[in-house]
Amino acid sequence: MLTIQHINKAFQSHTVLDRVSVELPEGQVLAVLGRSGCGKTTLLKTIAGLLAPDAGSIKWAGESINEVPPREREMVYLFQEPLLFPHLSVFENIAYGLHVRKTPEAEVQNKVQSMLRELELQEHAQKKPGQLSGGQRQRVAFGRAIIFLPRVLLLDEPFASLDAQTRSAMQKLFLRLARKYGITALFVTHDVKEALLIGDCFAYMAAGQLTLYRSKAAFMDDPATGVQEELAFWNNIEHNIPTNDK
Amino acid sequence: MLRKSLTAILASAILLPFLFFAVLSVGQAWFYPSVMPQRFTLANWQQLWSGQSELQFGLVRSLILGLGVAILSTLLGFIISKEIALAKYKNRWLLLAYWPFVLSPVVLAILVQRFFLLTGMSGELIGVLLGQLILAFPFTVIFFQSFWSPEVLQLGQQSQTLGASAVYTLRYVLLPLAKPLLLICFFQTFLISWFEYGLTQFIGLGKVKTLTILVFKYVNEANIFHAALASLLIMLPPALLLWANKKFVFRGI
Repeated sequence: MLTIQHINKAFQSHTVLDRVSVELPEGQVLAVLGRSGCGKTTLLKTIAGLLAPDAGSIKWAGESINEVPPREREMVYLFQEPLLFPHLSVFENIAYGLHVRKTPEAEVQNKVQSMLRELELQEHAQKKPGQLSGGQRQRVAFGRAIIFLPRVLLLDEPFASLDAQTRSAMQKLFLRLARKYGITALFVTHDVKEALLIGDCFAYMAAGQLTLYRSKAAFMDDPATGVQEELAFWNNIEHNIPTNDK
Repeated sequence: MLRKSLTAILASAILLPFLFFAVLSVGQAWFYPSVMPQRFTLANWQQLWSGQSELQFGLVRSLILGLGVAILSTLLGFIISKEIALAKYKNRWLLLAYWPFVLSPVVLAILVQRFFLLTGMSGELIGVLLGQLILAFPFTVIFFQSFWSPEVLQLGQQSQTLGASAVYTLRYVLLPLAKPLLLICFFQTFLISWFEYGLTQFIGLGKVKTLTILVFKYVNEANIFHAALASLLIMLPPALLLWANKKFVFRGI
Protein backbone atom coordinates (compact mmCIF):
# COMPACT_ATOMS: atom_id res chain seq x y z
CA MET A 1 0.00 0.00 0.00
CA LEU A 2 1.14 3.53 -0.81
CA THR A 3 0.76 5.78 2.22
CA ILE A 4 1.31 9.51 2.04
CA GLN A 5 1.16 11.43 5.30
CA HIS A 6 0.93 15.21 5.69
CA ILE A 7 3.06 16.11 2.68
CA ASN A 8 3.94 19.80 2.43
CA LYS A 9 5.63 21.50 -0.47
CA ALA A 10 6.16 25.21 -1.11
CA PHE A 11 7.94 27.11 -3.86
CA GLN A 12 9.36 30.25 -2.25
CA SER A 13 6.41 31.54 -0.21
CA HIS A 14 3.71 29.81 -2.27
CA THR A 15 2.35 26.61 -0.71
CA VAL A 16 1.58 24.06 -3.43
CA LEU A 17 0.90 20.99 -1.30
CA ASP A 18 -0.79 21.57 2.04
CA ARG A 19 -0.66 18.57 4.40
CA VAL A 20 -1.72 16.08 1.72
CA SER A 21 -2.48 12.56 2.92
CA VAL A 22 -3.43 9.56 0.78
CA GLU A 23 -3.78 5.82 1.27
CA LEU A 24 -3.81 3.77 -1.88
CA PRO A 25 -4.20 -0.03 -1.64
CA GLU A 26 -2.38 -2.20 -4.20
CA GLY A 27 -4.25 -2.84 -7.44
CA GLN A 28 -6.48 0.23 -7.04
CA VAL A 29 -6.67 3.30 -9.26
CA LEU A 30 -7.12 6.59 -7.41
CA ALA A 31 -8.64 9.25 -9.66
CA VAL A 32 -7.57 12.72 -8.51
CA LEU A 33 -9.76 15.46 -9.93
CA GLY A 34 -8.52 19.02 -9.89
CA ARG A 35 -8.35 22.23 -11.87
CA SER A 36 -5.13 23.55 -13.41
CA GLY A 37 -2.61 24.83 -10.88
CA CYS A 38 -4.11 23.01 -7.90
CA GLY A 39 -0.87 21.10 -7.18
CA LYS A 40 -1.62 17.77 -8.91
CA THR A 41 1.63 17.65 -10.87
CA THR A 42 3.68 18.60 -7.80
CA LEU A 43 1.98 15.80 -5.86
CA LEU A 44 2.85 13.19 -8.50
CA LYS A 45 6.43 14.44 -8.90
CA THR A 46 6.89 14.35 -5.12
CA ILE A 47 5.68 10.75 -4.98
CA ALA A 48 7.97 9.83 -7.90
CA GLY A 49 10.93 11.37 -6.05
CA LEU A 50 11.52 14.06 -8.66
CA LEU A 51 10.74 16.72 -6.05
CA ALA A 52 11.60 16.52 -2.36
CA PRO A 53 8.77 17.30 0.09
CA ASP A 54 9.35 20.03 2.69
CA ALA A 55 7.60 17.90 5.30
CA GLY A 56 5.64 14.66 5.63
CA SER A 57 6.35 11.10 4.65
CA ILE A 58 5.81 8.76 1.71
CA LYS A 59 5.70 5.06 2.56
CA TRP A 60 5.45 1.89 0.55
CA ALA A 61 4.36 -1.22 2.46
CA GLY A 62 4.94 0.68 5.70
CA GLU A 63 8.54 1.70 4.92
CA SER A 64 9.52 5.29 4.29
CA ILE A 65 10.82 5.97 0.79
CA ASN A 66 11.50 9.69 1.31
CA GLU A 67 15.23 9.17 0.86
CA VAL A 68 14.96 6.57 -1.92
CA PRO A 69 16.08 8.00 -5.30
CA PRO A 70 13.52 7.99 -8.16
CA ARG A 71 15.22 5.14 -10.03
CA GLU A 72 14.82 2.81 -7.04
CA ARG A 73 11.21 3.70 -6.18
CA GLU A 74 9.63 1.63 -8.96
CA MET A 75 7.07 4.40 -9.38
CA VAL A 76 6.78 5.54 -12.96
CA TYR A 77 5.69 9.10 -13.63
CA LEU A 78 3.93 9.60 -16.96
CA PHE A 79 4.05 13.17 -18.21
CA GLN A 80 1.08 14.90 -19.80
CA GLU A 81 2.81 14.63 -23.19
CA PRO A 82 4.03 11.11 -23.99
CA LEU A 83 7.75 11.64 -23.56
CA LEU A 84 9.23 8.93 -25.74
CA PHE A 85 12.94 8.74 -26.43
CA PRO A 86 13.04 10.19 -29.95
CA HIS A 87 16.19 8.34 -31.07
CA LEU A 88 14.78 4.91 -30.11
CA SER A 89 12.24 2.85 -32.04
CA VAL A 90 8.86 1.87 -30.58
CA PHE A 91 10.31 -1.55 -29.71
CA GLU A 92 13.36 -0.03 -28.00
CA ASN A 93 11.22 2.48 -26.12
CA ILE A 94 9.00 -0.27 -24.69
CA ALA A 95 12.04 -2.42 -23.90
CA TYR A 96 13.82 0.46 -22.09
CA GLY A 97 12.83 -0.49 -18.53
CA LEU A 98 13.71 -4.14 -19.18
CA HIS A 99 17.14 -3.24 -20.57
CA VAL A 100 17.74 -1.01 -17.54
CA ARG A 101 17.04 -4.05 -15.34
CA LYS A 102 19.38 -6.22 -17.45
CA THR A 103 16.58 -8.63 -18.37
CA PRO A 104 17.82 -11.48 -20.62
CA GLU A 105 17.38 -10.62 -24.30
CA ALA A 106 15.06 -13.57 -25.07
CA GLU A 107 12.73 -12.47 -22.28
CA VAL A 108 12.87 -8.87 -23.54
CA GLN A 109 11.85 -10.02 -27.01
CA ASN A 110 8.94 -12.08 -25.67
CA LYS A 111 7.62 -9.42 -23.31
CA VAL A 112 7.91 -6.57 -25.81
CA GLN A 113 6.26 -8.57 -28.61
CA SER A 114 3.45 -9.49 -26.26
CA MET A 115 3.06 -5.85 -25.15
CA LEU A 116 3.05 -4.68 -28.78
CA ARG A 117 0.16 -7.08 -29.48
CA GLU A 118 -1.62 -5.82 -26.37
CA LEU A 119 -1.25 -2.24 -27.58
CA GLU A 120 -2.04 -3.15 -31.20
CA LEU A 121 1.24 -1.65 -32.32
CA GLN A 122 2.93 -4.70 -33.90
CA GLU A 123 3.30 -3.10 -37.32
CA HIS A 124 4.83 0.06 -35.80
CA ALA A 125 7.57 -1.72 -33.81
CA GLN A 126 10.46 -0.34 -35.85
CA LYS A 127 9.06 3.17 -36.28
CA LYS A 128 10.50 6.18 -34.47
CA PRO A 129 8.18 8.21 -32.17
CA GLY A 130 8.08 11.05 -34.68
CA GLN A 131 6.27 8.75 -37.12
CA LEU A 132 3.40 7.99 -34.70
CA SER A 133 0.13 9.75 -33.93
CA GLY A 134 -0.56 11.26 -30.49
CA GLY A 135 -2.66 8.27 -29.40
CA GLN A 136 -0.05 5.76 -30.60
CA ARG A 137 2.70 7.63 -28.74
CA GLN A 138 0.63 7.56 -25.56
CA ARG A 139 0.10 3.81 -25.98
CA VAL A 140 3.86 3.31 -26.31
CA ALA A 141 4.40 5.39 -23.17
CA PHE A 142 1.93 3.15 -21.31
CA GLY A 143 3.55 -0.01 -22.58
CA ARG A 144 6.99 1.26 -21.60
CA ALA A 145 5.76 2.11 -18.11
CA ILE A 146 3.90 -1.10 -17.28
CA ILE A 147 6.05 -3.73 -18.98
CA PHE A 148 8.21 -4.22 -15.89
CA LEU A 149 5.21 -3.98 -13.54
CA PRO A 150 6.17 -1.00 -11.37
CA ARG A 151 4.74 -0.57 -7.89
CA VAL A 152 2.77 2.56 -8.78
CA LEU A 153 1.91 4.34 -12.00
CA LEU A 154 1.63 8.12 -11.68
CA LEU A 155 -0.37 9.55 -14.55
CA ASP A 156 -0.45 13.30 -15.08
CA GLU A 157 -3.48 14.05 -17.28
CA PRO A 158 -2.21 11.57 -19.87
CA PHE A 159 -5.10 12.01 -22.30
CA ALA A 160 -5.50 15.78 -22.05
CA SER A 161 -4.00 16.49 -25.46
CA LEU A 162 -5.93 13.80 -27.37
CA ASP A 163 -9.10 14.22 -29.41
CA ALA A 164 -12.36 12.90 -27.94
CA GLN A 165 -12.42 9.65 -29.91
CA THR A 166 -8.79 8.71 -29.23
CA ARG A 167 -9.24 9.75 -25.63
CA SER A 168 -12.16 7.38 -25.20
CA ALA A 169 -10.19 4.52 -26.81
CA MET A 170 -7.23 5.23 -24.53
CA GLN A 171 -9.44 5.26 -21.42
CA LYS A 172 -10.76 1.82 -22.36
CA LEU A 173 -7.25 0.54 -23.06
CA PHE A 174 -6.02 1.87 -19.72
CA LEU A 175 -8.88 0.20 -17.85
CA ARG A 176 -8.26 -3.12 -19.62
CA LEU A 177 -4.53 -3.06 -18.86
CA ALA A 178 -5.06 -1.84 -15.30
CA ARG A 179 -7.36 -4.81 -14.62
CA LYS A 180 -5.12 -7.31 -16.40
CA TYR A 181 -1.87 -6.32 -14.67
CA GLY A 182 -3.41 -5.25 -11.34
CA ILE A 183 -1.93 -1.79 -11.71
CA THR A 184 -1.80 0.54 -8.71
CA ALA A 185 -2.15 4.06 -10.05
CA LEU A 186 -2.73 7.69 -9.23
CA PHE A 187 -4.59 9.10 -12.18
CA VAL A 188 -4.74 12.89 -12.23
CA THR A 189 -7.34 14.57 -14.44
CA HIS A 190 -9.39 17.73 -14.74
CA ASP A 191 -12.17 15.86 -16.54
CA VAL A 192 -15.06 14.73 -14.29
CA LYS A 193 -16.21 11.99 -16.68
CA GLU A 194 -12.70 10.61 -17.00
CA ALA A 195 -12.28 10.51 -13.22
CA LEU A 196 -15.56 8.63 -12.80
CA LEU A 197 -14.71 6.19 -15.57
CA ILE A 198 -11.13 5.41 -14.54
CA GLY A 199 -11.13 5.52 -10.75
CA ASP A 200 -11.71 2.77 -8.19
CA CYS A 201 -11.45 5.43 -5.49
CA PHE A 202 -11.70 9.18 -5.74
CA ALA A 203 -10.11 12.39 -4.51
CA TYR A 204 -10.53 16.08 -5.21
CA MET A 205 -7.69 18.56 -5.09
CA ALA A 206 -7.93 22.34 -4.75
CA ALA A 207 -5.36 24.92 -3.61
CA GLY A 208 -2.91 22.22 -2.55
CA GLN A 209 -5.38 20.38 -0.34
CA LEU A 210 -6.61 16.89 -1.13
CA THR A 211 -10.00 15.49 -0.12
CA LEU A 212 -10.44 11.71 -0.23
CA TYR A 213 -13.94 10.25 -0.60
CA ARG A 214 -15.25 7.06 0.98
CA SER A 215 -17.25 6.13 -2.10
CA LYS A 216 -18.11 7.11 -5.66
CA ALA A 217 -21.47 8.41 -4.39
CA ALA A 218 -19.79 10.71 -1.87
CA PHE A 219 -17.50 12.03 -4.62
CA MET A 220 -20.49 12.67 -6.88
CA ASP A 221 -22.51 14.35 -4.15
CA ASP A 222 -19.84 16.88 -3.21
CA PRO A 223 -20.66 20.15 -5.05
CA ALA A 224 -16.94 21.03 -5.17
CA THR A 225 -16.17 18.18 -7.60
CA GLY A 226 -18.60 19.58 -10.19
CA VAL A 227 -20.23 16.19 -10.87
CA GLN A 228 -23.72 17.48 -10.00
CA GLU A 229 -23.18 20.51 -12.17
CA GLU A 230 -22.16 18.26 -15.08
CA LEU A 231 -25.21 16.02 -14.57
CA ALA A 232 -27.51 19.04 -14.40
CA PHE A 233 -26.03 20.32 -17.65
CA TRP A 234 -26.74 17.08 -19.52
CA ASN A 235 -30.24 16.78 -17.98
CA ASN A 236 -30.97 20.30 -19.07
CA ILE A 237 -29.79 19.56 -22.61
CA GLU A 238 -31.95 16.42 -22.70
CA HIS A 239 -35.08 18.30 -21.62
CA ASN A 240 -34.54 21.10 -24.11
CA ILE A 241 -34.14 18.87 -27.17
CA PRO A 242 -37.38 19.08 -29.19
CA THR A 243 -38.94 15.66 -29.93
CA ASN A 244 -41.09 14.55 -32.89
CA ASP A 245 -43.80 13.16 -30.57
CA LYS A 246 -45.59 16.48 -30.26
CA MET B 1 22.89 26.15 -65.16
CA LEU B 2 22.98 28.96 -62.60
CA ARG B 3 23.18 26.42 -59.82
CA LYS B 4 26.09 24.64 -61.51
CA SER B 5 27.92 27.93 -62.02
CA LEU B 6 27.42 28.91 -58.40
CA THR B 7 28.71 25.49 -57.25
CA ALA B 8 31.75 25.86 -59.50
CA ILE B 9 32.48 29.34 -58.12
CA LEU B 10 32.08 28.11 -54.55
CA ALA B 11 34.30 25.07 -55.15
CA SER B 12 36.93 27.28 -56.79
CA ALA B 13 36.84 29.72 -53.88
CA ILE B 14 37.55 26.85 -51.49
CA LEU B 15 40.06 24.92 -53.61
CA LEU B 16 42.08 27.77 -55.17
CA PRO B 17 43.78 28.86 -51.91
CA PHE B 18 44.79 25.22 -51.34
CA LEU B 19 46.22 25.02 -54.84
CA PHE B 20 47.98 28.38 -54.51
CA PHE B 21 49.62 27.49 -51.18
CA ALA B 22 50.45 23.98 -52.38
CA VAL B 23 52.35 25.41 -55.38
CA LEU B 24 54.11 27.97 -53.19
CA SER B 25 55.05 25.35 -50.60
CA VAL B 26 57.08 23.44 -53.19
CA GLY B 27 58.52 26.57 -54.78
CA GLN B 28 61.95 28.13 -54.56
CA ALA B 29 63.23 31.48 -55.80
CA TRP B 30 60.22 33.41 -56.96
CA PHE B 31 61.06 36.80 -58.42
CA TYR B 32 58.94 39.52 -59.93
CA PRO B 33 57.53 39.51 -62.64
CA SER B 34 57.54 35.68 -62.96
CA VAL B 35 54.11 34.13 -62.58
CA MET B 36 55.50 30.91 -61.10
CA PRO B 37 58.54 30.18 -58.88
CA GLN B 38 61.82 29.51 -60.74
CA ARG B 39 62.38 26.08 -59.20
CA PHE B 40 60.27 23.42 -57.52
CA THR B 41 61.49 21.23 -54.66
CA LEU B 42 60.10 19.05 -51.90
CA ALA B 43 62.74 20.33 -49.47
CA ASN B 44 60.23 22.23 -47.31
CA TRP B 45 58.00 19.16 -47.02
CA GLN B 46 60.97 16.87 -46.31
CA GLN B 47 62.04 19.27 -43.59
CA LEU B 48 58.57 19.00 -42.05
CA TRP B 49 58.72 15.20 -41.79
CA SER B 50 62.42 14.89 -40.99
CA GLY B 51 61.83 15.81 -37.34
CA GLN B 52 63.20 18.54 -35.11
CA SER B 53 61.88 21.21 -37.46
CA GLU B 54 60.13 24.28 -36.11
CA LEU B 55 57.15 23.63 -38.35
CA GLN B 56 56.75 20.04 -37.16
CA PHE B 57 56.83 21.15 -33.52
CA GLY B 58 54.33 23.89 -34.36
CA LEU B 59 51.98 21.37 -35.96
CA VAL B 60 52.18 19.01 -32.97
CA ARG B 61 51.67 21.89 -30.51
CA SER B 62 48.65 23.14 -32.43
CA LEU B 63 47.17 19.65 -32.53
CA ILE B 64 47.70 19.12 -28.79
CA LEU B 65 46.16 22.51 -28.00
CA GLY B 66 43.28 22.10 -30.46
CA LEU B 67 42.33 18.61 -29.30
CA GLY B 68 42.87 19.47 -25.62
CA VAL B 69 40.75 22.60 -25.78
CA ALA B 70 38.05 20.89 -27.86
CA ILE B 71 37.76 17.82 -25.62
CA LEU B 72 37.91 19.68 -22.29
CA SER B 73 35.64 22.57 -23.22
CA THR B 74 33.05 20.34 -24.94
CA LEU B 75 32.83 17.96 -21.98
CA LEU B 76 32.87 20.70 -19.34
CA GLY B 77 30.42 22.85 -21.29
CA PHE B 78 27.99 19.93 -21.68
CA ILE B 79 28.02 19.18 -17.94
CA ILE B 80 28.07 22.74 -16.60
CA SER B 81 25.39 24.01 -19.00
CA LYS B 82 23.04 21.34 -17.60
CA GLU B 83 23.69 22.54 -14.06
CA ILE B 84 23.02 26.11 -15.20
CA ALA B 85 19.78 25.03 -16.93
CA LEU B 86 18.65 23.53 -13.61
CA ALA B 87 19.97 26.39 -11.44
CA LYS B 88 17.69 28.73 -9.57
CA TYR B 89 19.47 31.85 -10.87
CA LYS B 90 20.10 30.57 -14.40
CA ASN B 91 20.43 34.03 -16.01
CA ARG B 92 23.05 35.23 -13.54
CA TRP B 93 25.28 32.27 -14.37
CA LEU B 94 24.74 32.80 -18.08
CA LEU B 95 25.73 36.45 -17.73
CA LEU B 96 29.01 35.22 -16.25
CA ALA B 97 29.53 33.02 -19.32
CA TYR B 98 29.24 36.08 -21.56
CA TRP B 99 31.85 37.95 -19.52
CA PRO B 100 34.96 36.99 -21.59
CA PHE B 101 33.24 38.05 -24.81
CA VAL B 102 32.00 41.34 -23.40
CA LEU B 103 35.53 42.18 -22.24
CA SER B 104 37.12 41.12 -25.53
CA PRO B 105 39.94 38.53 -25.62
CA VAL B 106 42.71 41.18 -25.62
CA VAL B 107 41.54 42.86 -22.41
CA LEU B 108 40.96 39.44 -20.90
CA ALA B 109 44.53 38.41 -21.74
CA ILE B 110 45.88 41.49 -19.95
CA LEU B 111 43.71 40.76 -16.91
CA VAL B 112 44.73 37.11 -16.58
CA GLN B 113 48.39 37.62 -17.48
CA ARG B 114 49.39 38.24 -13.82
CA PHE B 115 47.80 34.93 -12.77
CA PHE B 116 49.82 33.05 -15.38
CA LEU B 117 53.04 34.86 -14.40
CA LEU B 118 52.53 34.08 -10.70
CA THR B 119 51.81 30.41 -11.35
CA GLY B 120 54.76 30.05 -13.70
CA MET B 121 52.51 29.06 -16.59
CA SER B 122 53.46 31.96 -18.85
CA GLY B 123 55.40 30.75 -21.84
CA GLU B 124 54.22 27.17 -21.24
CA LEU B 125 51.89 24.98 -23.30
CA ILE B 126 49.65 24.34 -20.27
CA GLY B 127 49.30 28.11 -19.74
CA VAL B 128 48.21 28.64 -23.34
CA LEU B 129 45.78 25.70 -23.05
CA LEU B 130 44.19 27.26 -19.96
CA GLY B 131 44.17 30.68 -21.61
CA GLN B 132 42.33 29.33 -24.65
CA LEU B 133 39.91 27.48 -22.38
CA ILE B 134 38.94 30.82 -20.83
CA LEU B 135 37.46 31.65 -24.24
CA ALA B 136 36.30 28.23 -25.41
CA PHE B 137 34.62 27.04 -22.19
CA PRO B 138 32.09 29.93 -21.85
CA PHE B 139 31.34 29.51 -25.55
CA THR B 140 30.39 25.85 -25.00
CA VAL B 141 28.29 26.72 -21.93
CA ILE B 142 26.28 29.18 -24.02
CA PHE B 143 26.22 26.76 -26.98
CA PHE B 144 24.68 23.87 -24.98
CA GLN B 145 21.97 26.02 -23.37
CA SER B 146 19.79 25.34 -26.40
CA PHE B 147 20.15 21.59 -25.82
CA TRP B 148 18.95 21.53 -22.20
CA SER B 149 15.35 22.37 -23.02
CA PRO B 150 12.57 21.47 -20.55
CA GLU B 151 11.75 18.49 -22.79
CA VAL B 152 15.28 17.06 -22.63
CA LEU B 153 15.37 17.57 -18.85
CA GLN B 154 12.01 15.78 -18.58
CA LEU B 155 13.33 12.90 -20.72
CA GLY B 156 16.10 12.56 -18.16
CA GLN B 157 13.55 12.48 -15.35
CA GLN B 158 11.43 9.97 -17.27
CA SER B 159 14.45 7.71 -17.66
CA GLN B 160 15.10 7.91 -13.90
CA THR B 161 11.56 6.93 -12.96
CA LEU B 162 11.86 3.99 -15.38
CA GLY B 163 14.73 2.80 -13.19
CA ALA B 164 17.79 4.10 -15.03
CA SER B 165 20.84 5.44 -13.19
CA ALA B 166 22.35 8.82 -14.07
CA VAL B 167 25.17 7.10 -16.00
CA TYR B 168 22.71 4.88 -17.92
CA THR B 169 20.56 7.92 -18.76
CA LEU B 170 23.62 9.84 -19.92
CA ARG B 171 24.85 6.96 -22.09
CA TYR B 172 21.59 5.81 -23.65
CA VAL B 173 19.45 8.94 -23.70
CA LEU B 174 21.32 12.23 -23.33
CA LEU B 175 24.51 11.54 -25.28
CA PRO B 176 22.71 10.04 -28.33
CA LEU B 177 20.38 13.04 -28.34
CA ALA B 178 23.25 15.49 -28.01
CA LYS B 179 25.58 13.74 -30.48
CA PRO B 180 25.16 16.20 -33.40
CA LEU B 181 25.61 19.19 -31.08
CA LEU B 182 28.62 17.59 -29.38
CA LEU B 183 30.30 17.09 -32.77
CA ILE B 184 29.59 20.65 -33.89
CA CYS B 185 30.82 22.02 -30.55
CA PHE B 186 33.99 19.92 -30.72
CA PHE B 187 34.61 21.21 -34.24
CA GLN B 188 33.99 24.85 -33.29
CA THR B 189 36.18 24.81 -30.19
CA PHE B 190 38.96 23.03 -32.10
CA LEU B 191 38.87 25.88 -34.60
CA ILE B 192 38.83 28.51 -31.84
CA SER B 193 42.09 27.05 -30.54
CA TRP B 194 43.56 26.28 -33.97
CA PHE B 195 43.29 29.87 -35.21
CA GLU B 196 43.86 31.63 -31.86
CA TYR B 197 46.63 34.23 -32.02
CA GLY B 198 46.28 37.03 -29.43
CA LEU B 199 45.97 35.01 -26.22
CA THR B 200 48.48 32.42 -27.44
CA GLN B 201 51.09 35.08 -28.18
CA PHE B 202 50.41 37.00 -24.97
CA ILE B 203 50.33 34.06 -22.52
CA GLY B 204 52.85 32.00 -24.50
CA LEU B 205 55.29 34.97 -24.48
CA GLY B 206 56.20 34.05 -28.06
CA LYS B 207 57.72 30.76 -26.82
CA VAL B 208 54.72 28.58 -27.56
CA LYS B 209 54.91 28.62 -31.34
CA THR B 210 51.72 27.23 -32.78
CA LEU B 211 51.08 27.07 -36.52
CA THR B 212 49.15 30.36 -36.44
CA ILE B 213 52.05 32.07 -34.66
CA LEU B 214 54.49 30.57 -37.19
CA VAL B 215 52.49 31.81 -40.18
CA PHE B 216 52.76 35.38 -38.89
CA LYS B 217 56.44 34.85 -38.08
CA TYR B 218 57.24 33.58 -41.60
CA VAL B 219 55.21 36.37 -43.21
CA ASN B 220 57.12 38.94 -41.15
CA GLU B 221 60.38 37.32 -42.23
CA ALA B 222 59.17 37.38 -45.87
CA ASN B 223 59.71 33.62 -45.94
CA ILE B 224 56.82 33.03 -48.30
CA PHE B 225 57.54 29.33 -48.99
CA HIS B 226 57.49 28.37 -45.31
CA ALA B 227 54.52 30.69 -44.76
CA ALA B 228 52.69 28.87 -47.59
CA LEU B 229 53.46 25.45 -46.12
CA ALA B 230 52.35 26.57 -42.64
CA SER B 231 49.18 28.11 -44.11
CA LEU B 232 48.44 24.89 -45.95
CA LEU B 233 48.83 22.91 -42.74
CA ILE B 234 46.57 25.39 -40.91
CA MET B 235 43.88 25.03 -43.56
CA LEU B 236 44.01 21.24 -43.77
CA PRO B 237 42.51 20.03 -40.44
CA PRO B 238 39.57 22.48 -40.50
CA ALA B 239 38.85 21.39 -44.07
CA LEU B 240 38.93 17.74 -43.00
CA LEU B 241 36.73 18.48 -39.99
CA LEU B 242 34.29 20.38 -42.18
CA TRP B 243 34.14 17.43 -44.53
CA ALA B 244 33.60 14.98 -41.64
CA ASN B 245 31.04 17.31 -40.08
CA LYS B 246 29.13 17.52 -43.33
CA LYS B 247 29.27 13.76 -43.76
CA PHE B 248 28.23 12.77 -40.22
CA VAL B 249 26.38 15.70 -38.71
CA PHE B 250 24.37 17.00 -41.61
CA ARG B 251 23.71 13.57 -43.10
CA GLY B 252 20.12 13.31 -44.28
CA ILE B 253 19.46 17.05 -44.38
